[in-house]
Formats: sequence, C-alpha cells, structure tokens
Amino acid sequence: MATVANYANIFVRYDLIGSGEAKGVKVSNKDSAMQKVLDCVLEGDSDNIAAAVNEALASKDPMTVINDGLIRGMNEVSRLWDEGEYYLPQAIVASDAMLQGLDICEKKLGKALEKKGTVITHTAEGDIHDLGQKIVNALLRANGYNVVDLGKDVPVDEVVAAVKEHKPVMVTGTALMTTTMTAFERISKRLVKDSNYVPFVCGGGAVSLEYVSGYELGIFGKDASEAPGMANDAVNGLSWSQLREKWNN
Amino acid sequence: MGQTGIALDLGTSGFRGQAIDLERKEIIATVLTARHPLPGANVMDHLNFAIEAGLETAHGVVIETVNQVISTLGIPKEDITRLAVCGNPIQLSLFEGIEIRDLAYAGERKKKLMGIVPPNRDAKKLAASDIDGLFLPPGVGVYIPAAVKHEIGADALAMMAQSGLLENRDIALVTDYGTNAEMALKIGDRIITGSCAAGPALEGQHIEFGMLAAPGAVHDIEAEKVGFRCYVLNQNMISEPGDLVDITAGTVLETGAVGVAGITGTGVISILYEGMAANLIRLPQIKTPQKKIHLGKDVAFSEHDITEAGKAIGAIRAGFITLAAEAGIELEDIKTAYMAGASGTYVNARKALQVGLVPPGAQKVYQVGNTSLAMARDIVLDPEKLWELQDLARALRANHCMFGDSQVFERAYLLELSFWGEGMPWEQYHKFSRMYKLPRLIEPYGEPEIIRLYERDIPDLGCRGVSYIDIVGKPCQVRFDGCTGCGACVEKCPEKALQLLPEQQPTILIRPDRCNGTACKRCEINCPKKVFEFALIPFIS
Amino acid sequence: MPKYDKMAYASADEMIFGSAKNPVKYGRDFTVGGGYVYPELVPHPRPGTESTKKTLVKEYEKMVTDVLDRCVGIGIPGIQIELEHVYQMTKNPEWGGEIAAATKHLQEDYFRKYGLKSAIRATVADYRKPDEEDIRNSVALENQLKTFETSAAGGADNLSIESVGGKEISDYTIVRQDIRGTLFGIGVLGSLDMEFMWKKIVAIADKYGATPGGDTNCAQANVAMFMAGGFQDRSVPHTFAALTRAIAAARSLVAYEQGAKGPSKDCGYEDVIIKSITGNPISMEGKTCACAHSDLLGNLVGACCDLWSNEAVEYHDMFGGTTVAVFAEILGYDVSLMNTAIELGKAKDLQQMMIHSDKYRDTHGFILCPENAYEIGKAIVANNTSYYARARAAAIKSGELMLGDSKLQISAFEKESLESAMRTLESLPDKEEDFISECTDIYKKLIPGFTLANYGL
Repeated sequence: MATVANYANIFVRYDLIGSGEAKGVKVSNKDSAMQKVLDCVLEGDSDNIAAAVNEALASKDPMTVINDGLIRGMNEVSRLWDEGEYYLPQAIVASDAMLQGLDICEKKLGKALEKKGTVITHTAEGDIHDLGQKIVNALLRANGYNVVDLGKDVPVDEVVAAVKEHKPVMVTGTALMTTTMTAFERISKRLVKDSNYVPFVCGGGAVSLEYVSGYELGIFGKDASEAPGMANDAVNGLSWSQLREKWNN
Repeated sequence: MGQTGIALDLGTSGFRGQAIDLERKEIIATVLTARHPLPGANVMDHLNFAIEAGLETAHGVVIETVNQVISTLGIPKEDITRLAVCGNPIQLSLFEGIEIRDLAYAGERKKKLMGIVPPNRDAKKLAASDIDGLFLPPGVGVYIPAAVKHEIGADALAMMAQSGLLENRDIALVTDYGTNAEMALKIGDRIITGSCAAGPALEGQHIEFGMLAAPGAVHDIEAEKVGFRCYVLNQNMISEPGDLVDITAGTVLETGAVGVAGITGTGVISILYEGMAANLIRLPQIKTPQKKIHLGKDVAFSEHDITEAGKAIGAIRAGFITLAAEAGIELEDIKTAYMAGASGTYVNARKALQVGLVPPGAQKVYQVGNTSLAMARDIVLDPEKLWELQDLARALRANHCMFGDSQVFERAYLLELSFWGEGMPWEQYHKFSRMYKLPRLIEPYGEPEIIRLYERDIPDLGCRGVSYIDIVGKPCQVRFDGCTGCGACVEKCPEKALQLLPEQQPTILIRPDRCNGTACKRCEINCPKKVFEFALIPFIS
Repeated sequence: MPKYDKMAYASADEMIFGSAKNPVKYGRDFTVGGGYVYPELVPHPRPGTESTKKTLVKEYEKMVTDVLDRCVGIGIPGIQIELEHVYQMTKNPEWGGEIAAATKHLQEDYFRKYGLKSAIRATVADYRKPDEEDIRNSVALENQLKTFETSAAGGADNLSIESVGGKEISDYTIVRQDIRGTLFGIGVLGSLDMEFMWKKIVAIADKYGATPGGDTNCAQANVAMFMAGGFQDRSVPHTFAALTRAIAAARSLVAYEQGAKGPSKDCGYEDVIIKSITGNPISMEGKTCACAHSDLLGNLVGACCDLWSNEAVEYHDMFGGTTVAVFAEILGYDVSLMNTAIELGKAKDLQQMMIHSDKYRDTHGFILCPENAYEIGKAIVANNTSYYARARAAAIKSGELMLGDSKLQISAFEKESLESAMRTLESLPDKEEDFISECTDIYKKLIPGFTLANYGL
C-alpha cells in the first residue's frame, strides 16, 4: 500500500497549532546564534539571554539582532499568549529577557532604539498594590514603548507634572483600593484644565467601567494585556474618546 | 435582672450583639443585623464613605445602629454594666470615632503628605459617656481590645486567641475568611500574620446570583445518582435539602422544601469543587451548553463568577504560600488549619481544602465559628482579659508580613491569576513556582479530619433566642434642586436602596444599609439632569 | 435482536467503490453496486414553494427537468434522484405520491428519448416527536407509512428514512459529551425504534415491489459531527463525534437486518462500516455536499461508495445554470473519474488517493477509512448479543483505533475528552438490561417526556 511521507501539502492541522503536540512556536532562524536569541526570548530565559545576544552580535549588527531576534521573538510570544498557548507569567518573563537583550544591543549601537512613544504609568496615591502596573510596564516595554514608571503611591501633582514634562501618548493608573481610585478623577480634572487631552487608562481591582466612564479622558482597562493595543491606537492618532468607544463598548 | 453585659461584634457584613447575664454567666439574647449600616459593599467602601462624608457622620451612623442593636436585645438600660466590642480596626475606630485615614491609604508617602498620624489603638477601657451618641448610662464601661497592626486588628487577635491556635504545638495556620482574609501562621513560638484583600466573592458578592446567608441561599451542592441536590437555608437559617437540579440545564428534577434564591460564598466554593470534579468546569471555562452551572431555572453560576471567585481563592492561597516562605517552611509542614468567621464555619471544609482555601497539607481542619463575638463575650465576662490580650498583641507586633510589599506574594498571586483566569495548567504553575523558588504547592490532603466545633458560627444564641434587624440604621430623605422625579436613580440602583416618595417636591428615600456607597454612585452617574449629588445626602439627621 | 454475525468481506482490501457483494437492480436499467458508480442528485425546493401542492409539484418538475437535461447535455450514463421529503410531502401523503409520479414520468421520458438510466429514492420525513407523543401510534407515524405507500405507488424505486428514535436523549447528551447517554439514545433506543419502523417499511416495499433502501443516523451522529465542526470549533470534541459515528453504525445496521437492501441513505457516514458487514451497496456524500454542510473527509468518504451524492441543494440560479444542474454535472464528472479508474484497472490506486487525502485530517475520516471501518465492523459482529453490546463494542474499538495510531494527531483537549469517554465506556455494565435500567433511572429524570413505552420496553 502506498504511504504518504509528507502531508503538509495535503492538509494543515490548524487545530493543533498552538497546542503542545504540534509545538506552537512558528518562528525560527537558520543562524544558530540568532536561534538561541529567539529561544531565550520565547522561553523567558534571563540567565542565558546575555550570552546568546553577545554571541549573535559577534556576527550580526545590533539592529538585526533586535529585529530578527528580540522583537520577532516577542511578537511570537504575544501571538502565543493571544491564542491561549502562553500564560501571563510566560509573557512577563519573556519580556524581561527581551529587555535585557535589548539593553546589550543598545549599548553596542551607542544609542537607544527609537521608541514608538512614551507611556506614563503609576499606581494611585495611597495605594501600594502595583502588580497590575508592573505587568503593564513589562508588556509596554516589550512592545517598544518608552515607559516612564512613576511607581506606587504617586501623588496627583506628580502625575500631572510628569505628563507636562514627558508628553506621553497615554497615561495609565492602577488601583486596588476604592479609597485610592478617586485620585484618578482628580488627575483627569487637572489634565483637562490644562487642555491636556491625553488618554488615561485606569484599571485594577477596585476600578470599574462605570467609575472610569464617569470622568473625561478615562478609559477602563479591564486587563493589563490590553495596554499595548491601546497604546498602539493612541500612537495611531485615536483620541481618548475614540479609545473609550473602541475598548469599552 | 441586675448585672448584664453586652458583647458586640462589628463585622463588615453586619453587626452581631449578645446580652449576657454576668452573674450566671449565661447568654440571654442575640441580635443580628442583615447588613452593615454604612453605604458600601466592603470595608474599603465603608472607609471611603467615612472619608468623603466625614468621620462624624460615619461614626454617627455606626452608633445609631449599635443603639438599635442594644435596644432590640431588650435589656433595660439601667441593668447594663459593661459593653465589650470587637471587630477590625476600621470598624472599631469608626465606633470610637477616632482617626481612620491611616487605614485608608497603604502608601506611606501619601500618609506623610496629609499629615496623618495613626491614633492609639491599644486596648482601652472607656466610659459610655466618652462615646458620642451611645445611648447608655454614662458610667457603663466600654472595653475595646487592642489591634496588632493596621491591617491586623482585634478581630485577628480574637481569631488567634479563640481558635485554639496559640495552644497548638504543631505548625498551624488560622484564617478568618472574609472580604479581607486574615491569617496567622504559628511555628513554635513564632507567629506570622498576614492580611489579604480576597475581595467579596467569598461573601457571595460580585457573584451574579451571590447573596449573604439568608433564607433561600444555596450554601452547598452534592452530587446524587442523577443531578445535584442544593442545600438551602430555610426561614430559621437551618440548612435543608432543596431542589434536585440538572446543573447542565435550567431544569429542576425534584422540588425541595425551600426554593433557591441565590448562592452564598460557601455555595460558590461548593459549585467550583463539584463543577471541577464533574469535569464541567475546566478553568477558565464552563463546559455546558449555556456555559453556566445552573441551579434551577433562575439561578446560575457563570464563567465571570469563576474569575471573581478565583481572585479570592487565589489571593488566599498566595497568602498561605507567602506565610510559608516567610517562615522558611514548606506548605506540607502545615498540618493543622483553623477556619474562622461565618464562611469558615459553614463551608464544606473538605471541598474548601480541595479548591485551595485551606493549606493543602492540612490533615486536621478545625471550624471554629465567629471568634470576634466570642472574644467580646470573654471580655465582657472577665474584663481582665482585655489586658492579657493587649500583652499578646504586643508580642505579635513584630511579625506582620505585608503582602502588598512582598515579592513572594506578588509572584504567587500572579500564578494564581493565570491559573484561575487563563486556565494555566498545573505543569506551568509548578514550573514557574520552582523558577520563583516559592514553597511548593502540594496536592490537597485527601482524607483530612474535620473538627467542627460548633453547628453555628454563634453556638449559643441565649434563652430568648435570636432577633434580626432587617432595616439597619435609619433611612434618610433628600431633595435636589432641579430634580424632576424621573426615577432614573431609583431604577439604576443595583441594590434597590432608593425609593421615590409621593410628595409634591420630588423626594428620594435612601436606605444607607442597602446602598453600595461611593464606589457605585450609579444614582449620581445616571441622573439625566445631573442634579443628584451623592455628597448632599444627609445620612445622619 | 441483532442478526449479523459475520463480515461480508474477507478483508477491507476487497472493498471498492462501484461494487457491492449484493448489487441492487431497480428503476430503469439501473444497477447499484454492480461495478460502476452512479450519481445521486438531491434537489431541494425553494422556500415558499411548499405552500401548495401545485407549486411544489411544479418546482420538482422544473428541478428534475434541469437535472435530466444536464445529464444528457454532458453525457452522464445514469442518475438516481432522491426526493428528500420536506415536511409537507409526508404530512400530505398524496403530495409525496404525486411528486414521485411526476419525477418518474420525466425519467421515463428521458429514458425513452435518450436511454438515460434512472431511479428514484423517496425519503420520507420522520416528524414523530419522541418526547411528546406515542411514536408507535401517532398521526405522524400513520402519515409516514401512508406516504411510503403513495410514493411506492407513484414510482419510487427505493424507500428510505432518517428515523429519529432516541433523539430526545442524544439531543441532551451530545452537547454535554455524555457518552453513556449517547450510547443509550443511539445504540439502544435508536436501534429498537428502527426495528419497529423497518418491519413496516419493508412490508410496504414488498407490497408495491419497491426496494427498501436504508436509514441514516442523520438526526444524531451527524448532529455531533456538525457541532464538532471544523478545526476552529471546540464545542463538541471531534473524538466524541467519531465515537458517536461508530455507535451509529451498529444502529443503522438494523434496517438491513429487517430486510432493507440498499443502496443506503447518502448522509449515513457510517455506511462504509455497514457495507463491510452487509455487502449491500451504499450511497455516500463528501466534497459534493459542501452545498449543504461541511465535513473533514470530502474525498475519503467516496472510497467505497456505489452512489455519489450531494446531500441537498436548494434550487437557485448560478452562472453555470441552476444549482441542481450544476451539481448533477459535478457529481457526473466525479463518478466518471471513478469509473475511468475502474476501466483502467486503477480503482485501488484512486481509492488510495481518496483515503490518504483525509485519513489523518480528522478523527471522522480516520475511523471511516476502509481498514478501520472494517475493524469496527468486526467488533460489531463479534458482539451481537444485543444492540447495546455491539454499539458499545463499536465505540470502544473506534476509540482504541484513534488512540493506537500515532500518525493521527489529537490535541490535548480532544484526547482528554476521548480518554474520559473511554473510561466511561469501559465501566458500563455488560448486560443490556442492566444498562437500560441504569439509563432509564437517569434520563427519565433529566429529560422530560422520555418514556420507555416508545421503544416497546
């Protein structure tokens, strides 16, 4: 009886892409050093990313390592996360590894890579529960944004001043406690008073869509994973109200 | 009658009071309120309300309700000799009428900026006349036990002192299950406490058909040969077999004596356990045609509810992991667990262990009831106890773990969120747990010995029995200039706290105890004329 | 009670499209399974035309004319037309009879003029409601039987049905991946209802000299297959749908035990298993039925067919003519290719190509490729002590086959579901009466209206 050696041109099992058996990762590089960079990002291997990047830099220019190794790897991580193959912790360790690799490449390049834009992140005044903010930071950085991380327990004045100084495409605020989230409304009022209509994405345990919809600039961030997509929209010129329309309706 | 004492537990979901004959050392009567008198669904809401409406107003509402509880107990005022009160530091500060803002903000920077100085929360004996508005003879002694630290209050002290934890020689952990889950781990002489914001899911809130324990509430379900039996609280708050239901469809297979009205926090745990055991819940999804676990025609448990419950269970489990890491032990070393609070008493402990609400290595699980009221009772019977507990609180003070600042907690909670919210498989969980060097989360112990100390969270209700206060505190009225009486605020209120009175000028009647408070404000947001101002509601006359 | 205790074929290798052990000859010079494959075209009237008998008869006349014209236009040697009844054609027995007669009249005409070989299958609509009525004594049943008579009298050569016994159970169990209940609904209740129905259908066929054709588990196994859907769908696991199909084979076999001769009904994907047992010709549909529904075995399913069908196509205009003419042409060229392979002695080669196209595409094609179908057939005949025993054996065998071939890739989700179903199947009682009593307790409570009386129990 005849046998078929390769079914690839007969049918594709799309149902298995992304599942363990079929090895979800779809990117590879013929160059072994570059493959190591990809692997380190995909596996979130911060211990070995430096060695892998340095090895790749021996034969490749930094931009190639960044684009074909680090960014390509991170894009694949995002895809796998979107498709439910990867989970949040994997996305975070991957972005940690990616950023370490990026650091090395930028040093070699002699300058920082041009970023897509600046995003200011903070956790509300009086609040120290900043897990959500840390996730947002990692994901935005891994997606090519310059993140100005104001940290936790940040006074309203400081957020407003930082917006004036850095001219971000987007600001984010995280709050776990209902007592602290009221700061968001005050930030919004101050920004509007300065005619600064920057999209202000607010999220975290206590924060609800209803609450955030109650003040100008506010866009409800349901999940940290939405941050890069929102930032991309902001860079592409969507106003705060268009962002609210798109992400909150 | 003579010498009578009052023991009060000011809980987040309601107040509980008991009158005690001090000579015979017997409980006379018990009063429960259906809700907390302040607007809000949790203690942070209460706090927020107190900050926005002013401490005086919040204190006034609380005391008004304390007076209501005392008068419902039916003891002549002149017979009352002393009153002891227990609860978390926020409730106790509101009762006493002292600074609360230090409890509202976790960030030190903000506190310094606002010049907030934490008040003295040591044990104190006051006179009734020291408490503004307390309707008792001026000389009656008021006993307030000490807090351990700002997140660990007298209620946590009660949890440790009353559960039996302190006498146990083994490594043991006690948890008081509530919106803020409080826990304490004891290893030899060391005690490490922690407090995590579990959120309200375990109280049945934020769950689509969630409710507090009340008639009609499903608190457990059990598989039968065909379908699942709902166990429901009846009019006397006693569990009864209710409807037999097909949880994959909205059908009732056999009608029980009590109808199904909603699901309590303990019911949520039972549904999660049974759903997972029957392969119908595969996190984060429900594998039934309508993606719901049905408890009859009208009540169901959704995938969104899984996420909410998962946040609560995950936070508590992350708390166990963090305390174990802090103590330098493994989870399997914790062989004894105590479950306190109403949820901790009524929950099916075996199921709670399996879903992750009890340290997984626990071979002995004690369900210890409402320790807070028990401590107030002990103090009222023997005021000396107040100072003993103060010494204990001082000794514990050095060993508090702030989960908010703990990297271990942050990482463990991250894994929990992925597990419950994204359905991250166990292999991944363990892989990351190893990478983060967290104490290993072992499989729950299969056959734990469960020791239920009392049938009820309040074991003895007294010879006169229990009374319920359904309308807690006083409804208040408000009129707004420009109000057309359209009723949008009434309609949009998720708790049915508002009512439009049939008067010439539109007047709104508000039940503060039903109101969800400053985190909701749907009345204000939805006012088409923008004249509804929450801040103008006169919560106290 | 089951009757088949041995296989019609000595091996799977013997099975090929166009030939059956027991060919069937009927209609105008029309032999099925006698060496060549014929198309079976199923036209479906446009919505609205069923409002009166007159408009519906007219619609059928137009459709049939278009089909026969196209056959003659491109040189198709012969064709079977299936009159798959819309509800009104069965509810009003004289409608079904009149449409059969009109079709026969046209076929006769084309036979006379051109020598175009032809036959008619009449498939009566089974609109009994097992959860609402006594399906052994209902008006619906009465009408269905009458319509069989009018159809046969009108000229239908082949009498078929898609019977619905046990559907009240399987509708509940399939979406809940409850394999026990699915086995009960299809394997036990479906079989019992078929036994009852087919005794009557065969008697009518005999009375009128028509051929009792076959039955399909469209109402159950196809429901599972459609819900399993394509690669992106996750509501019902494909592995579960495949188990359901194996159970359906044990059930659809009952028609032949009661005297049906084939060719079988086109949408019975389980028919290849049945052919391995009975040797009767089968009608199949695959890529050519994409007009009606999608499947994952569009080529493979033709590997052993004797008629090649399009399931159902609604009557509309296309650039290349009306839909029925277009599909007659597609079917015509498909069978032309198969018959060419037969003439060139290359039939087994073409069959291999059909098989390899889809054997590992999905679980359904995998269990229905001839060699696996044959194994499932063997499990059925080896366990002929009861309808239950053979349906369960078929399911277990198909599960073992799926788990036993490493080339068949199964996602973790699919595999978990399959293993769980296998554990359930293994744990079931051995005796049919125990199984029936266990299931009765359960499903009487879960499914309102379910009654054993409908199945003679």
